[in-house]
Amino acid sequence: MNELMDMISFGIRLGEPLLAAVIIIMCFVSLRGGRRSEQALIVLEDRTNDTNYPVIYWENSIGRSASSDIKINDPTVSRDHAVLLRRSNGWFITDTGSKAGVYVNGDKTDGRYPVAIGDVITCGTTELVMRRASDIEGAVPRREIKMFPQEIILSLITFYISLLTVQSSINLQNTDCVILAASFIGVMWLFYSVSKLGLKRMNFELESLVMFLSGTGIILAASHNVKQGYVQLIAAVLGMILYSLILWFIEIPDRVMKWNIIISILALLMLGSTLVIGRSLHGAKNWIILGPVSIQPSEFAKIAYIFVGASTLDVLQTKKSLAAFIAVSAASVGLLVLMSDFGTAVIFFVTFLIISFMRSGDIKTVFLALTAAVLGAMTMLSVKPYIAERFAAWGHVWEYANDSGYQQVRSLIYSASGGLFGVGLSKGYLQYLFASENDLVFCLMCEELGCIIAVLCAVTIGGLMLYARGVTTRSRSTFYSIAACSAGGLLVFQSALNIFGVVDLLPLTGVTLPFVSYGGSSMMSCWGLLAFIKAADERTYFRHIPKRLEKQNKDYVEI
Amino acid sequence: MRHTRTRSFPVLMLTLAFFAGIIYFIVNLVINSSVWVSKPYNGHLSDSSGLEYAGKIIDRNGIILAKSEDGKRIYNEDEITRCACLHVVGDDSVNISTAVQTLYRSELSAYDFSFGLGIPNEMKEGKDIHITIDSNVQRAAYEALGDRKGACVVYNYKTGEIICLVSTPSYDPMDIPKDLDTNDVYEGAYINRAVSASYPPGSTFKLVTAAAALENDPELEHLEYDCTGSTKIGDKDINCFEISGHIDMKDAIKTSCNAYFAELAILLGRDKMTAQAERMGFNKSWKFDGIETITNTYNVSSANDNNFAWSGVGQYTVLESPINMAIRSSAIANDGVPVIPKLIQSIDKTFSGSLAPVPERSEANRMMSSETAEKLKEMMDYTVKNYYGNDNFSDELDVCAKTGTAEVSDDGLSHGWVTGFTKDEDCPLAFAVVVEHGNSGFYAAVPVASAALTAAAASLR
Repeated sequence: MNELMDMISFGIRLGEPLLAAVIIIMCFVSLRGGRRSEQALIVLEDRTNDTNYPVIYWENSIGRSASSDIKINDPTVSRDHAVLLRRSNGWFITDTGSKAGVYVNGDKTDGRYPVAIGDVITCGTTELVMRRASDIEGAVPRREIKMFPQEIILSLITFYISLLTVQSSINLQNTDCVILAASFIGVMWLFYSVSKLGLKRMNFELESLVMFLSGTGIILAASHNVKQGYVQLIAAVLGMILYSLILWFIEIPDRVMKWNIIISILALLMLGSTLVIGRSLHGAKNWIILGPVSIQPSEFAKIAYIFVGASTLDVLQTKKSLAAFIAVSAASVGLLVLMSDFGTAVIFFVTFLIISFMRSGDIKTVFLALTAAVLGAMTMLSVKPYIAERFAAWGHVWEYANDSGYQQVRSLIYSASGGLFGVGLSKGYLQYLFASENDLVFCLMCEELGCIIAVLCAVTIGGLMLYARGVTTRSRSTFYSIAACSAGGLLVFQSALNIFGVVDLLPLTGVTLPFVSYGGSSMMSCWGLLAFIKAADERTYFRHIPKRLEKQNKDYVEI
Repeated sequence: MRHTRTRSFPVLMLTLAFFAGIIYFIVNLVINSSVWVSKPYNGHLSDSSGLEYAGKIIDRNGIILAKSEDGKRIYNEDEITRCACLHVVGDDSVNISTAVQTLYRSELSAYDFSFGLGIPNEMKEGKDIHITIDSNVQRAAYEALGDRKGACVVYNYKTGEIICLVSTPSYDPMDIPKDLDTNDVYEGAYINRAVSASYPPGSTFKLVTAAAALENDPELEHLEYDCTGSTKIGDKDINCFEISGHIDMKDAIKTSCNAYFAELAILLGRDKMTAQAERMGFNKSWKFDGIETITNTYNVSSANDNNFAWSGVGQYTVLESPINMAIRSSAIANDGVPVIPKLIQSIDKTFSGSLAPVPERSEANRMMSSETAEKLKEMMDYTVKNYYGNDNFSDELDVCAKTGTAEVSDDGLSHGWVTGFTKDEDCPLAFAVVVEHGNSGFYAAVPVASAALTAAAASLR
């Protein structure tokens, strides 16, 4: 009987990676296939020289500089003259500090000014008439949308989670995981129903990918300690709520821009209060303990930080100074260093580089920041030389196999022991190591689920980033594109620190692997970050073409 | 918005770097996985884990030294064979780091990269490992060593096959003594002294000093010297065991004159001595079949003249492993080119039948010119014929050898050494024996070498 069970468990292990690969491929193919084609939304007709400028994006810079979205060769037009934006209630133009000013039908504009089809926009000596794209170019056939039915993907994930659960039950010879897995599957389908029926969102691939990651993490954790599985599940549910709240909040980016200062203060307060009332667990003082719950505020500060960094195009062109953002960033990194949470400090710093470059395109700021960081790190090391000892094993862990390289050496050994298909849930040895289900989770997956699934999880996170970048110009605002790229970059960088830390490509810093590692705060904040990527997808707010507004503004242009 | 996309390029690079890192990890995993899996910290393969369904270990005559039955590891039925082969075969644990069952546990337990260690027991098909040692020779050497601590290496200097690799003290892997870790009798029992221990080589090092001289000036062969039993170098005397009188190099090897080789070392200088020692395996270790030997040391950079003179006769801080001594003897036997030993004959699946082809012999860098090798060979031959007596080694084999009696820094008795080789074409063996605190190379080590060589000759012929 036992032998039969062994064989079944082995068979399941061979099947799981294939299923996982199919799920991931379907999700990404569907994401790609469902994107809007980049066609002109409207056309600006230049009456002075009969040129037509197609307007492709939701936010378009107009100016003389070569990198403008709509480039006008007219010496009276400023380099960054204006920004033409589309919002759910129509088109607007914002003068971004031009010399000659922007006139609509002869009226001088100040701030954001609505424009409609047929209106004449005057920049310098250039007169632009706003036209429907179909009037100029003829009806463009709408690109065919190739998406997989989301229910099929969800059914496959359900099947995948079930296989994991069966495997875990066979290996553990108990059914502790079954209720947990069933609850997770229930939550997944419920969330989908709300998204599809309640919020009328047509796509669910991003959530599906994360369900795949979280599901793997939950069953993995539960196979070693079923209580951890439940903690993970609750955190995932809270994460989904946070995700929905953030998506609701950032629906109107112009509104978010007004909250910037309050959110900055909130982020700094979160970090600051941790420093004051936080507890130190495992070397870093980054925990706040509230009764039975312990949370890591720095995880939530990540979300706030992205809020602060991202910005709409008109604001970007008007307020070019990064000073306020740099100040918030420096304060955040400083606080994290004081907490000895170096992993998160580095993550914040890299996110800072991503955001500041995406905002300004200014390589000097990046170099300056890097120089400052190197100097800071060197000062830090000269003041507190013991910090360097933490990283002493980096690059030659085998020589430190029984002290500072202990975790990495075991991680590598057990990764190799797992082969492509793993030794089976709960059958591994890495689980007995400290922090195996968070810091070492990548290798724990390699050992118990096999390196295919582990690598697929990493590929999924990288893929989220590639997707976020793929939709930058399709987003409804640069706010979303910047936020999505920063959130994606943060997740990828954090994954890199986690994975490469254990396999000795980078120093071991003890950060979590997004969505997979055990840790409630981390799970929630990762869902929160996912909201930014989701928001960058134009279709996310598609349902919100309010009928009422459509009637008011007949010239509203459909996609 | 095009701007925003362009400026997201660094994030794209970050992501590509992330993917590159993942690929690097996978490549590393594919290349190193079998090494990593075999590390002693692997819970899947330590204690008896991983041996329950492992393949057999078989000696050159087809004698099974270890096998698994019904989920248990069983060793050869003869207790002395078990003890004699312990350091080569290993026990259930991974305490003996150079043993086949430690280094090749992943192969024995049917590890492969695709399935890792995740194959159900019923489907496991461990690989058998054929090793080059001869368990009869092992027994002979083990019994000759008796309850003394030491090691014996015998290997074929034409093919590299190790015939005998014994280390004492040993224990029975099927009846591990309870006081193994506490009783002094078993001190260092986990160490294979033949490859993982180093001792002052004493007079056997005179072959290195002689080689250094002959390599630099072949005429030094005729360097004559009047030995008075001691010579003052630096601030202290270098003493001999006997007064050799008027001698040349050949006689100095024969009577093992310390004064002669001390003066010779001074004549050559530190650089030439160090260079030749390093050619002959010092300040490095050997790697073969997964075994990494201990590093031999010859460092006279901070030695005063007297210390340096002592280094020329294998004292001072000079340390050498038995395996290195056998390897440098193989170079003398092989016209100056050493042959690297090997222990693994083949690794194969239980039912696939065909043996993997015997690996080619592998040579290391030349240690000396063939002329130097020829002269050293003559000197060793002369020493055996005229001093030790060939019949003290073997009645059948034609042996060239050099003994050593190395003083130890603590108050214990000197270590006894002997190294050399046979001149027989059909039985080309290089050997080295050390007997800790044996007091005399000739009386302690030569009988062990003799027992092993006699058994090896019987086996090979």
